[in-house]
Amino acid sequence: MVGASIALPEAGSAESAEAEHPNGDGPALVAGSICEAHELRALAAERPGTRIEIPPQYNKPYPSRSACRSHELAWDDSAPGPRQPIPFSHKHHAGEYEIPCQYCHSGTDRSQAAGVPSVETCMGCHGQLALDYDQEFEGIRILKEHWGHSYVNDNGTWKLQPRDESKAKPIQWVQVHRLPEHVQFRHNRHVKRGLDCNQCHGNLRQEAPVKVEDLDKLYLVPDTLWWKYGLPTQKLEMGWCIKCHRENEASQDCLTCHY
Amino acid sequence: MSELDRRDFLKLVGASAGAAAAVGCSDPVEKLIPYVVQPEEITPGIPVIYASTCRECPAGCGLHVRTREGRPVKLEGNPEHPVNQGTLCARGQSGIGRTYHPDRFAGPMRRGPGGELEPLAWDEALSLLAEKIQANPSGTYVLGGDVGPTAGSVVDRFVTATGAGGRVVYDPFAPEALRESTRALFGQARVPRFDLSDADLVVDFGSDFLDVGPAPTEHARQLAQARDVHNENGGVRLVHVGPRLSMTASNADEWIPAKPGSEGLVALAAAHVALRERGGDASALRSLGHVTPADAAARAGVDAATIERLGRALAAAKRPVALPPGVAGWSRRAVASAAAVLLLNHALGAVGRDVHLEREPAGRARASHREALRLVEAMNSGAVSVLIVHDADPLYSLPAASGFGKALEKVDFVVSTASMVDETAARADLILPDHTPLESWGDAEPRVGVRSLLQPTIRPLFDTRALADTLLDTGRAMGLGGQLPSGSFRTLLEQAWSGSDFRNALARGGEFRPQASGSAPVPSASAMLQVAEPMLEGEGDFALVAYPHSLLYDGRGANLPWLQEIPDPVTKVAWQSWVEVSQATADKMGLKAGDVLAVETSAGRVEVPVLPRGGIRDDVVAIAIGQGHSRGHYASLAGDGQPGETRGVSVLALLPSVTDESGGRAFLTARARVTKTGGFQRLPLLQSTDNKRKRMLGEALPLAVVKGEGHGDGHAGGHHGADLGPVYANEHAPIEAYDATADSHEDSPYRWGMSIDLDKCTGCSACVAACYLENNIPVVGEEGSVRARQMSWIRIERFVGEGYIEYVDAPERGRRPQPSNEVLGKTDVRNSPMLCQQCGAAPCEPVCPPIATYHNPEGLNGMIYNRCIGTRYCSNNCPYKVRRFNYFDYSQFNWPGLFNLMLNPDVTVRGQGVMEKCTFCVQRINAARQGAKDEGRPIGDGEVVTACQQACPSHAIGFGNLKDSGSAVSKLGDDKRGYHALHSLNTRSAITYLAKVTRDVES
Repeated sequence: MVGASIALPEAGSAESAEAEHPNGDGPALVAGSICEAHELRALAAERPGTRIEIPPQYNKPYPSRSACRSHELAWDDSAPGPRQPIPFSHKHHAGEYEIPCQYCHSGTDRSQAAGVPSVETCMGCHGQLALDYDQEFEGIRILKEHWGHSYVNDNGTWKLQPRDESKAKPIQWVQVHRLPEHVQFRHNRHVKRGLDCNQCHGNLRQEAPVKVEDLDKLYLVPDTLWWKYGLPTQKLEMGWCIKCHRENEASQDCLTCHY
Repeated sequence: MSELDRRDFLKLVGASAGAAAAVGCSDPVEKLIPYVVQPEEITPGIPVIYASTCRECPAGCGLHVRTREGRPVKLEGNPEHPVNQGTLCARGQSGIGRTYHPDRFAGPMRRGPGGELEPLAWDEALSLLAEKIQANPSGTYVLGGDVGPTAGSVVDRFVTATGAGGRVVYDPFAPEALRESTRALFGQARVPRFDLSDADLVVDFGSDFLDVGPAPTEHARQLAQARDVHNENGGVRLVHVGPRLSMTASNADEWIPAKPGSEGLVALAAAHVALRERGGDASALRSLGHVTPADAAARAGVDAATIERLGRALAAAKRPVALPPGVAGWSRRAVASAAAVLLLNHALGAVGRDVHLEREPAGRARASHREALRLVEAMNSGAVSVLIVHDADPLYSLPAASGFGKALEKVDFVVSTASMVDETAARADLILPDHTPLESWGDAEPRVGVRSLLQPTIRPLFDTRALADTLLDTGRAMGLGGQLPSGSFRTLLEQAWSGSDFRNALARGGEFRPQASGSAPVPSASAMLQVAEPMLEGEGDFALVAYPHSLLYDGRGANLPWLQEIPDPVTKVAWQSWVEVSQATADKMGLKAGDVLAVETSAGRVEVPVLPRGGIRDDVVAIAIGQGHSRGHYASLAGDGQPGETRGVSVLALLPSVTDESGGRAFLTARARVTKTGGFQRLPLLQSTDNKRKRMLGEALPLAVVKGEGHGDGHAGGHHGADLGPVYANEHAPIEAYDATADSHEDSPYRWGMSIDLDKCTGCSACVAACYLENNIPVVGEEGSVRARQMSWIRIERFVGEGYIEYVDAPERGRRPQPSNEVLGKTDVRNSPMLCQQCGAAPCEPVCPPIATYHNPEGLNGMIYNRCIGTRYCSNNCPYKVRRFNYFDYSQFNWPGLFNLMLNPDVTVRGQGVMEKCTFCVQRINAARQGAKDEGRPIGDGEVVTACQQACPSHAIGFGNLKDSGSAVSKLGDDKRGYHALHSLNTRSAITYLAKVTRDVES
C-alpha cells in the first residue's frame, strides 16, 4: 500500500549521497541520527559494498527502526485519515509491542465510552525512555510539551527542560471513529461480549483484514477521499450495526441505541 | 474534512451520485480531548456523584450533584439528608442553571466613568475596595442573606476587624413574626418546626406550606405519609384557611375562605371552641383577646358554624397540628396571628409532640427587616459610604416604598458579589463575583442536628472568588490580617468541622444527628398581643394579597429558564404576571382573561393582565411575587431582545413599607383600587380550562368508597375486576378489562409501567423540572408558550371537580380560556401528571409513515428521533396530547452561554422538525440494564428510577416492571383506586393512576 518510501529526517543528504556514490567509491554515507543509522545499515545490507559510517552516538538499537518508520508513516499526509497532533502509531504500540488495547483505553469494559488515554498514561512509559527518543522524534517532544516540559535546541540537540505543571495541556486528537449524536453506543456491552475491537475499528470481513494494530495512521470511512483507497475499514452505518446484531441475536430494538 | 474542495466534490458527484450523498454531509472535525491527568474517580462515560447542599431557599435540602466528566449535569436529592430524603423541588433542581448562566460575570468589574462595566484584576479590585473602606470604616455596611455558619462567621469577623458599621442579614421571607410570637408566648425566640408525618388533622392557617413553606419537600413528604389511605381513619384531613385557592389550599380537604389576615381570629375562635369541647385552661388564649366564633366569623367573612365545626374537629382529632400564616398573610398583626395559632397548637397538646420548639443553630444568621430599614435610613442620611451586598437582591425584593432605590444613590460605593446580574448588581460600582453554589465550599445548618456541607463539583468556570475569601483578602489588603483568621475559606471550613469526620461528612453531604424532641413550654399569659384585622393602608374595594410564586420564590428564580417555563401550579400561567380577581368581580367589571387592569395602592400602580377565577374571595385581588425584573436574560425581556424591559410586574412596587408588631416585614398591607385600562395581553396560559368534562382524567373517589363502605352511583367499573363494583361514575362507555403485561413481547421479561397516586400529588411540578433537566428539553419562551408550543414531556393537569360535558355558558363557547370551575370554599382540585402513557395499543403508532414511533419489546412506546420526518400525525392522533414538536432548532438557540455544558450526554438533543416525548427515561432503563446484564440477572424492582419519580417530594410516582408480580408498581396496580386515563379509548395505557381520595373533615 502506501508509505513504502520513507523520507528520513534530513534524508536529502543521505539520498543524494547515495545517488552520487552508488557503488561506494566515494566518501562513506554518514548517519546523522539513530533512525538514519538504521536505514543506512539496511542499505548496506541490501547493497554490499556501500560504505557507511555511523558515529558512536547514533549506533544504538533504540529507538528501533520500526519506531522510526511508524513515526514517519503516522504523519504521512498522503495516507488516508486525518493528521493528528502527534504522529502516534497504533501499529507500533498495539502491533509490535502488543500492548493490549485496554491498557490505554481503560474503562472500555465498564463504561459506554472507550476513553482516550490521558497524557499521564502516555508519560507512564515515555517518561522512562531514554532521551534518544526525544532527540529522534518530534512526536515525543510534542507529547512532553503537553506534559509541561519544554525544550531548548542546543546546536541540534534537544535539551529537555524541567516540567512546569502549569504548562501542561491536553492533546487535541482528531476524532476518527465518530458515531452520530443520535446513537447511544455502549463499549462495555460489546467488550464484555468478547468482540474484537477490530470488528468495528478495523475490518475483519474482507480478504485482507485491516486491523488497528497494523495501522500507523487511523482512518475510517466516510473519510473524505475514501474511494481512492478502497474500503479498508468499516463505515459506521446502521445497516452494518444491525447485520452484526442480527447474526449474534443481539437486540434489534430501536430504543437500544436511539433515545 | 477540509481536504475536499469544491472542484473535487463536483467531480465526485459526477462519478457517483450515490456516494456523493455520504460526502455531501461530511461531518465537521470533532476533537477528542482527554485529560492531562485523569482523576482517579472519573471514568469517561460514568457519572460521578457529589453530595452538596441546595442554596435556593433556607430549607437546606441535601443534593446529589450528578457530574459527567467534571461537569454537573443534574441535581438530585440526597437520600441520606433528613430534610428532603432524596427528593428535590423544582426550584432546587433548576439551581444548576446558575453555574452555566449566560448572565454570569466573567470576573471582577468596575463601573467606568461612562457608566459601563469594565473588567479589572482581582488585586486591583480588592485594593480599590480596601481603600474605600479605609476612607470611612464606620460607614461600611454588609447587607446580604444567610451564607451558612462558617461563611457567616467570616463576614462577622470582617465587620469587626474593619470596624465597619455593621452587618445586616436580609431575607425577604424570614419568619420573624413566628419567632417573635414564640418569644412573646414562651419567653424564647425560636422558629418552631412542624412535623406533619403522624398528624390526623392539619389546619393550615395560610402558611401555604406546600408552595413556599419552611421546607416544601419535607412537608410534602410528611403530608403524603400522613395522608396514606391505609392509615387509621383513611389518612390526615387538611383544612386550609385563607383568601385564595393556593396550591396548598388546592390540596386541602376543606377550604375556609377567610378574609386575608383574619387567620389569627379564626384560629383563636377555633381554639376557644376546641378548649370548650376538650376542657382545659383558656386563660392563655384570653390574653390575645376573647373572640367568639360568631365574632370571628363576622370579622373573617365566614360562617360561625364553620368555625364551630373546625373547633370541634380539632378537639376530636388525636394529633392535630395547626400551621401559622405564611408570607401572604403577614400583616401588621402577624405576630398576634402566629401567636394565636401557636396557642391553638398548645391547647391541642401539639407543642412538643408535632410542633417542636427546638433551639436554633448557633451559626444561623437571623434576618431582621427592622435592621434593613434602619440601614436604608442610614443610607438616606448619607452615613453609608460603602455598601457590600451579597446573596440577596434587595433593590428588587425590598418594597419599593422603603426607598432603598433612592437611598442607594446616596451611597458612594456600592459593591455586589452577585455571580450573575440582578437589579442590585446593575447599580453596583464594583462587582466582585462570587462562585455559584455548585462551585463553592460552604456549609448550612437549617436546624439543630442537621449540618450540611457544600462542596465544589466543578472548577469555577469564570474568574470568580468565594465571598468569604473576597472579604478575607480585602481585610488583609487593609493590613488587618492579624485580626482575621488565617488561611483560605476552605481551610476555615475544615477547621469549623474539625470536631467531625470531614471526609465522611463530604461523602454523606453533612453530619446528621437524630433530633431530640423539644419540650413543651408553658405559655405565659402576659403577652401583650391583640389578634385583630390586618389594618390595610389606602383606599379601594379590594385587599391586595401579594403571595410568593411557588417557583420564583422571592424573585430569585426568575432568571432560571425552567422556573419561568414551568407554569404556576395553580393558574398555569408561565413567563408572566397576572392579577387574580374573583369571577364575580370580573363579571361585574366585564373582564375576561387577559384584559389589562390597573391596580393602584397608596404606594404605587401597575398594569397587569387579569385572570378571573372562582377560587378567590370577591374582596381580594392577588398578584404573585417574583416577576417584574428589569435585568436578566430570562427574568427580564433581555432574552427576548428587549434589554431593560421588565417581564411582568413586581407586586412589591404596590406595597407600602409596613412592619408587623415586632418590626418584621409585612406583605398584607394594602388596599387596592382596580380599574380597567382597555388593554389586552394574551397570557401564556398552559391550560385553558379546568373542566375535565367528566372524562376519566384526574379521578377522585370518596373515602367511603375506597374503604369499601359504599359505592359511587355510576355505571362503569374500575378496570381491575368487576368485584369492586362500579366505583367510577363518569365513563362514557363500558370498559374492557385488559392485562397490561400482555403488551410487551412474550419473550421479554419486562413491561415497564408506572403508577401515579393523585392522592399524593400536590401539583408542585418538581417532576416537570426533573424531566426538563434530565431529558435536555428546550424552553420555548413567552411567545412560544402563548402559541402553545411548550416542549415539556410531563405536565400537571389541574381539574376542578368532575366538570360538565356541554358548554353551559353558551356565550363563552369557543373563547379560551374558559371560566374556571372553582367555587369559593370548595376544593375538589385534582392534580394529574400527564405524560406519555406508553399505550399497549398506541394511537400514535399506526399513523406514523416512517415508523419512527413503534412499540418496543419491553412495552415502551419508542420514539426514534432520527427516523422522524415531522408529519405530526402521531401528535394529532394522541388522545393525551403528550407529544411535542420542535418547531424551531432549539438545539442551536436554546442553550445560550454555557448552558450546553449541562446537557445530559445520555439523551440525544433533538433537532428541528422532530417529534419528541417521554419514553420512561429509557436512558435510565438502559443504564440499569448494564449492571443486570453484567451479573446475568433481570433488572430488579427499584433499580430503574425515572427522573420524575426521583424528584417527587411526596413519592406519588412509582415505576417498575408490570410483569414482575412482586414489583411495587404491580402491587399498586391492583389498588382499588386504580384507573387508566381516558380508559374508554382502550389505549391499554401502562400508567395506572390512583384516584384522589376525597375526605370529609369530621367534627
